[in-house]
Amino acid sequence: MNTAAPARPAPLRTPRRRLAAFLHRHAGVRLSLLLSAPALWLGLAYLGALAALFVTAFWSTDTFTGDLVRVPTWGNFQDLLTADVYRTIALRSVGVAVAVTLIDLLIAFPMAFAMAKLASPRAQRWLVIAVLTPLWASYLVKAYAWRVMLGSEGLLGWGYGLTATVLTLSYLWLPYMILPIYAGLERLPDSLLEAAGDLGARGWRTFRTVVWPLALPAVIAGSVFTFSLSLGDYITVKIVGGTSQLIGNVVYDNIGAANNLPFAAAVATVPVMIMLVYLAAVRRTGALENL
Amino acid sequence: MNLSRTARTALWAMLAAGLGVVYVPLLIVMLNSFNTDRTFAWPPSGLTVRWWEAAWNSTGVRDALWTSVQAGAGATVIALVLGTMVAFAIQRYDFFGKNAVSLLVLLPIALPGIVTGIALNNAFRAVLSPFGVSLGLFTVIVGHATFCVVTVYNNVLARLRRTGISLEEASADLGADTFTTFRLVTFPMMRSALLAGGLLAFALSFDEIIVTTFTAGAGVRTLPLWIFENLFRPNQAPVVNVVAAALIVASVVPIYLAQRLSGGDAGVR
Repeated sequence: MNTAAPARPAPLRTPRRRLAAFLHRHAGVRLSLLLSAPALWLGLAYLGALAALFVTAFWSTDTFTGDLVRVPTWGNFQDLLTADVYRTIALRSVGVAVAVTLIDLLIAFPMAFAMAKLASPRAQRWLVIAVLTPLWASYLVKAYAWRVMLGSEGLLGWGYGLTATVLTLSYLWLPYMILPIYAGLERLPDSLLEAAGDLGARGWRTFRTVVWPLALPAVIAGSVFTFSLSLGDYITVKIVGGTSQLIGNVVYDNIGAANNLPFAAAVATVPVMIMLVYLAAVRRTGALENL
Repeated sequence: MNLSRTARTALWAMLAAGLGVVYVPLLIVMLNSFNTDRTFAWPPSGLTVRWWEAAWNSTGVRDALWTSVQAGAGATVIALVLGTMVAFAIQRYDFFGKNAVSLLVLLPIALPGIVTGIALNNAFRAVLSPFGVSLGLFTVIVGHATFCVVTVYNNVLARLRRTGISLEEASADLGADTFTTFRLVTFPMMRSALLAGGLLAFALSFDEIIVTTFTAGAGVRTLPLWIFENLFRPNQAPVVNVVAAALIVASVVPIYLAQRLSGGDAGVR
């Protein structure tokens, strides 16, 4: 400790000091400055890009030249809704996303529960690391690992296809389901579980009436990840999916090979709409605070 | 908690089995990087370090690694600045549209990557081509920064919630101005949260492929792009596998750092 502390110097009227005082007095200015750059980047540039993409979905391309025709049309969406192939692919994609989410939930919940409520604090720390570490391993590496295992000479040798896609996606997004549920269950006080037990509830009833309702926001938070990540994926399909395409592949193929950006944009609105509906539906549960 | 013995055993077994499923594929990749057989016939017929040498000497791999590091560093710096700014605005102020802003930060990772990818691709081409600028590393950085903001935002927001404003008020009462308070009080409190968020942002960028596919110019090849390009080439398989194994080993580093930095609260996005 410095015992002979010097007297506090009188405030200097330097420009810096005046600016600091000005900022201190005007919360609105501080807030505007804080929001300026993020608003420009995310609000103007990113949302602008999304809006422009949405507008493009109502344009078309010239069949011969491949140039954009900037005349509004519902054509892309009509094609999307009337062609059986796209309806099949859209339903398949949603089916895959739901399947992946359910599989991950079934595997993740018991794991998260054991981590949060059975493990000692010390073991908990290590288990969290054990779950986190694969999250840092590359997405491609993990998809690749399944390609090797599922390949004809691999450990499993089951071959590629829709089942392989679901398995690989479930594997890829599993930590995204475990971690929110673990965090949610860890916040759940043990005393509630004990109280349920004292009042005569057995394991299953405690789970159904106490644990599950309280863990639901965390489960939904996890499902936002697994659902959204599965819905937009096209890489895993290319690596292990064989010929069964998902929405992402249709978008990708229309950007690349077919050079039909308007149609790609129209297809891309499908997962966006599904995700927006999903997010709006789960907002009330407070799940988004858990992300 | 009064669980039956059977239930406890079952839960522990499921945890062990789950972790097994998580790690076995990664271990197989590691082992295959030493497999003498080019097609990874299982079980391996013999072990060799030949592929590691080949990967180490591959200029394609080295260039891609350097590109990835540059993209990750650029995106992380931008994400740190933007994420911190939004987190302060959200946590310290009340304003109209606050919920919309917090949702907006989340949007780039909540939406499927391909949507962000083609939206940015479309916008970049529309905005840049009149100036004769084509896609390049710069556009990759912009794309990555967009979805990396949320990791920094989440970490800083959590820290701000926990620390409160009393220390800053005390600093102001003692005569420090806004800038001095930020430098001596606020920033040191934020530091480990910034490191954790930055680390996550870098990892997210380092691993990203979908947005990268649509924002990278010709000749810009990040490591994931390189892997994906070579994944389907049988003669490159052993080198791809070595890169994969190396990335698995490397993924331990950020985990270790995050644990050291923040006492274990990092990583959960």
